[in-house]
Amino acid sequence: MSAEPADVLVVGAGGAGAVIAKRLAEHGAKVVCLEQGDWVDRQTLPKAHLDWEVRGRRYWAANPNVRRWPSDYPVASFGDNPIDVYIYNAVGGSTIGFAGNYWRFAPSDFRMRSLDGVGVDWPLTYEELEPFYDVNEREIGVAGLAGDPCGPPRRPTLLPPAPVGRPGRLLIDAYERLGWYWWPTEQAIATVPYEGRSACDHRSYCPFGCPQGSLGTTDVTYWPKGLKLGVRLITNARVRSLTVDSHGRAQGAVYHDSEGGIHEIKARVVVLCGGGLGTPRLLMLSDSSGHPHGLANRSGKVGKNLMVHVQSFAVGRFEEPVEGWHGTWGGTVSTRQFYETDPSRDYMRGFIMSGVGGYSPLNLALQLAPWGLDHHDVLDRYLNHEVCMYLCGDDIPEEINRIELDWEHTDAVGMPGVKTFYRLGENSQRLGADMIQRAHQVLEAAGATSVRDFGLSPIWGWHLMGTARMGDDPATSVVDRHNQAHDVPNLYIADSSSLPTGGGVNPTSTIQALAARCAQHIWDVRRDWRGAD
Amino acid sequence: MAYDRRQTDVAIPQEQGGGGYRDYRFEVGHAEVPVGVPRTFKVLDPETAASLRGWVECLVPARRGRPSAAEVGAAEYIDATVYSASGLRETLLRALDTLQGLAGDAGGGGFASADLAERTRAVRAFELEDRSGAFDMVRDLTYEAYYAHPVVLAALQSDIGWDAVAPTTGSGMEGFDESLLRRVKSLPTRYREVP
Repeated sequence: MSAEPADVLVVGAGGAGAVIAKRLAEHGAKVVCLEQGDWVDRQTLPKAHLDWEVRGRRYWAANPNVRRWPSDYPVASFGDNPIDVYIYNAVGGSTIGFAGNYWRFAPSDFRMRSLDGVGVDWPLTYEELEPFYDVNEREIGVAGLAGDPCGPPRRPTLLPPAPVGRPGRLLIDAYERLGWYWWPTEQAIATVPYEGRSACDHRSYCPFGCPQGSLGTTDVTYWPKGLKLGVRLITNARVRSLTVDSHGRAQGAVYHDSEGGIHEIKARVVVLCGGGLGTPRLLMLSDSSGHPHGLANRSGKVGKNLMVHVQSFAVGRFEEPVEGWHGTWGGTVSTRQFYETDPSRDYMRGFIMSGVGGYSPLNLALQLAPWGLDHHDVLDRYLNHEVCMYLCGDDIPEEINRIELDWEHTDAVGMPGVKTFYRLGENSQRLGADMIQRAHQVLEAAGATSVRDFGLSPIWGWHLMGTARMGDDPATSVVDRHNQAHDVPNLYIADSSSLPTGGGVNPTSTIQALAARCAQHIWDVRRDWRGAD
Repeated sequence: MAYDRRQTDVAIPQEQGGGGYRDYRFEVGHAEVPVGVPRTFKVLDPETAASLRGWVECLVPARRGRPSAAEVGAAEYIDATVYSASGLRETLLRALDTLQGLAGDAGGGGFASADLAERTRAVRAFELEDRSGAFDMVRDLTYEAYYAHPVVLAALQSDIGWDAVAPTTGSGMEGFDESLLRRVKSLPTRYREVP
């Protein structure tokens, strides 16, 4: 334990924590970051090996109950539509297993309640977040093309779009026949050499690791810069609780090292970036006489309003080979034709559809190849003949969707795991049904001879949001418009849990822009830090 | 993106799955068993090893240009997996016992010595009655051993043009042709202005 407190303690070195740490260190703050996982050895990334599909089902499995890294905690899922949770606990957080889809939210995503009468509004606007989208995209190196009529005007600072390959061309032809909007998908991928990172060479299946470092995971984007700026990153540091002083201010954290030893660290400002499950878990674990229901939980909203997006895949089979083995898995081209609320439809909000390549042999065999004499014929019929469409729609927050501590299943040091409870709401079910039907329409227009889809179950738990949400009213939200806890003045929560609504797109870009904005605010109010001494 | 046919089960911890079904996926996270490496059996004796070879051959039989799963070492791979994930050994051994009995019921001889058609009938019967999760485990692990094996991946490239090496080495592609956007660029904006 250092006698001199750090200026800022960041808990979690993932997509958001990396942004906070680097940005504040750049300003000159003394930053310490506690990460319960470790660095991922790039030689162990599945895609560095020919048997990557097998490795992806074992030590790289996105579900922590399967993977069981020392840094993981168990997650049990309940409710009408249980979530299959996908998170990584490591430097880089869940970005190390993401595909790189890198959308900005639309202006309307910040005004769900005002425009559509459902959910809640954000306490800030797109325009307020826009400068931080720009800042963050320069750090990450985002591929795409300015000028998409489905989004507001933006600065043309993007890297060239990724190649779309045959799957992309088939979908473009379909969109042109249908007369729909489409655009090259923005992706957190260096399509040309960028800040020392190699250009993408189209190995696809990006969630299985990007050994060449083209994918914008924060272990290769923010962290090398943050460390150079002097951030002290402590890995294998499992935070047991956040601590509060007698004045009700956050004063640091108590954590276990990899040997089980207990340490305390103090800081003037604490920023929690544990993700949609990890953040509320830690707040609940940090209860005290002054915070009997968990830290920063006077509203009772910690752990509530869990959102995951309405997600599915539709897959079309084509007579001609599609060369689906290369490209980027994050998307070839996408459409926001149905993104905004349309009164003629029977649901509010909307969705995106994003084309990707085809499934790989093992994945495909597990999905649909029967065993026995017909096995090869079925596999040959589909392998190299399928184009996938990733579908993602808006999910309206509901209090019934939540997390709780799970004292029956504990982690390596006896701390409780997490229970999730989730039910796909009526609006989400209607939206999902239309989303899947529209994907069939596109694939059929592209010339698919058959189309299959994954329906709406299981619930894919990539995008875990809303469990410590942002708002102006301390009675209905956990943090304010600057990600500052209503109840604890020097505590910030700056990750996916702070999103009041999730838009209808992959959220990493917005999470990181929000973190950059939060970091700027923390620096702007640095005179208040002394209150912690 | 690893969406297989029973993904929902992964959401539920083992003890809540009920019904005696053992989902092997909760056990193999730490079982690192490289594919395509020559190995001998460590758990199974020669008799049960022969039965497992006969089983995996039924699951993925040989076809012109493609080896059977037994020929690429799927049985040895499964043995190595349950060696590393010892909680799965009993599930596998009981399943092999059951198969032996089913083969006896069907044809009188042992499972391993039966021909492919007889073994297939026994495996089909086992699949229908299995409540232990053994069938799913052996099928999935067989597919793992098969579709990560260099010989099989080379055959896929030769037969249907699937380039299984490119995802680990990279490949060239044509850049995006912006002229394709001519129509879309002429369309009006399609997002809501927010007051």
